[in-house]
Amino acid sequence: MANTAFLMETDAVILPRKMKRARRARLLKQVVLGIGFPCLLLALWEIMAATGAIDRRFFPAPSTILSGMIALLKNPQERGQLLVDMGATYQRLIIGYLIGASIGIVSGITMGLSPTARYCLGPLVNATFPTPKLAIFPLLIVAFGLGDASKIALITLGVFYMTCISTLSGVLHSNPLHRDVAIAFRIPAWTRWSRIVVPAALPSIVTGLKLGLGQALILVVSAEFVAAQEGLGHFIWDSWQVLDVSRMFMGLIVVAITGGGAVLIGEGLERRLTPWAAR
Amino acid sequence: MDSSLAEAVRTDQLSPPNSEPARNALLIRDLRRVFLPRNGEAVAALAGISLTVRKGEVVAVLGPSGCGKSSMLRILAGLDTDFTGEIVWSLANAQTDDTRHLHSATVFQSDSTFPWMNIENNLKIGLTGLALDPAEAKSRTSRYLNLVGLGKFRKAYPHELSGGMRQRVAIARALATEPQLLLMDEPLAALDAQTRLVMQQELLRIWKETKSTVIYITHDIGEALMLADRVVVMTARPGRIKAVQDVPFGRDRDVVEMRANPAFGRLESELWRLVAEEVGHSLDKSNGAS
Repeated sequence: MANTAFLMETDAVILPRKMKRARRARLLKQVVLGIGFPCLLLALWEIMAATGAIDRRFFPAPSTILSGMIALLKNPQERGQLLVDMGATYQRLIIGYLIGASIGIVSGITMGLSPTARYCLGPLVNATFPTPKLAIFPLLIVAFGLGDASKIALITLGVFYMTCISTLSGVLHSNPLHRDVAIAFRIPAWTRWSRIVVPAALPSIVTGLKLGLGQALILVVSAEFVAAQEGLGHFIWDSWQVLDVSRMFMGLIVVAITGGGAVLIGEGLERRLTPWAAR
Repeated sequence: MDSSLAEAVRTDQLSPPNSEPARNALLIRDLRRVFLPRNGEAVAALAGISLTVRKGEVVAVLGPSGCGKSSMLRILAGLDTDFTGEIVWSLANAQTDDTRHLHSATVFQSDSTFPWMNIENNLKIGLTGLALDPAEAKSRTSRYLNLVGLGKFRKAYPHELSGGMRQRVAIARALATEPQLLLMDEPLAALDAQTRLVMQQELLRIWKETKSTVIYITHDIGEALMLADRVVVMTARPGRIKAVQDVPFGRDRDVVEMRANPAFGRLESELWRLVAEEVGHSLDKSNGAS
């Protein structure tokens, strides 16, 4: 009897320890492979560049690119230019995003609230949504000029569709039982909208905001490719035209980091605004 | 029919406030509901339901699926206004203040708590349609949370609670409006068998304390007998009342002992027979239609 008790006690210690070890091993594998595999690809690239298997004019070795980027960052004039370009892009991004998201959310909720608004705007929004936004950029230039305004308008438009459509579907397709509760308990209209309908739509609204971030980044860089004197898109395009590949990669990396940052911001927003929807 | 109902109303109003015999809480007269499917041919869902519910009574409504139980519940809950017939709420409650009590409060079958609100606010939002001062809203909230045994979980969020606990929140939310009629739409159907048994006993205890008048929709015959003072059996669509069975077990019930009671078994098979006939009918009909 005492013996079995003893055995069970050791099991109770050993088993969890084993499980913890297995879990740690799994995590370690995940991290090592996640970092290791991209490094492997880089190494492969390095070798191919060194052996001349790929054209070094377009694809210099990663080490060459890295040293080029370090040189760029050490040069005060070049660094200043990069910062100016980043500033220009971020400014357009933030202004366009805020305007687009605000209009999108407000019109999404309005369309959800009022059938009249939905019947008026629904077909219009749905019909124009699939048009690539970049295709109407010339039109926006005609309307808003070559300056910042047309680029901001382009971003606003892209973000508007994402947030408006997500918000509307969130309002219309949230749990119908919640509406039943609101009616059965005679909850007053304002309380119902502010404390039930909008929170219920919040997960969809946040999804729209996240999609809008990606959309905004794509649009700002593309617009700057075509028509800009400064901005990250211009920085990349300019570098490409003079075949300064290191400089081009510098621009790409900044854009990639911006995109990654945007994803992190989106996820933070999601956790903060809709903690109940987390799985 | 009409004259006897009018009689009932009159005697009820004449009787002095505290006199028993049982007073009527609510009167449903000739409730009819028609649905209009896409093909445009109207389908009758309810074909004249008349029912008088006494104050403090628990009435279970039993019937095959599709018999119009839910249509009836939605009408009583105020979710459906496309009906004919009459619902008289104020028989025994002529002085009831509508700004302090709801006519009916509903507990739904599936989880109807709001996941973005803590438990306390889930109860309070149910009171926003009444004109209560904040102090009373607060005291009602804590009283009914304690009643359902969730006093310690005021600040918890629904996703932190089990399914049974969330259903208790929904029950407390309905009770906090101190309704003239508590409507329950298969409130335990989504729970596992053990939790359901515990909750049945809990409901008996809660109703005894609140003296609630209840209409309890269910398709579980045992549960109907376990909880109700009267069981109303409905026909297959279009729904009518087929039979009304009194349940003679008083209000002090133990759900485990009840199952061992031979009278319970007899009543259960009696009701089974009634319901089985209707299920058979609706099967025949759907076979004939196809």
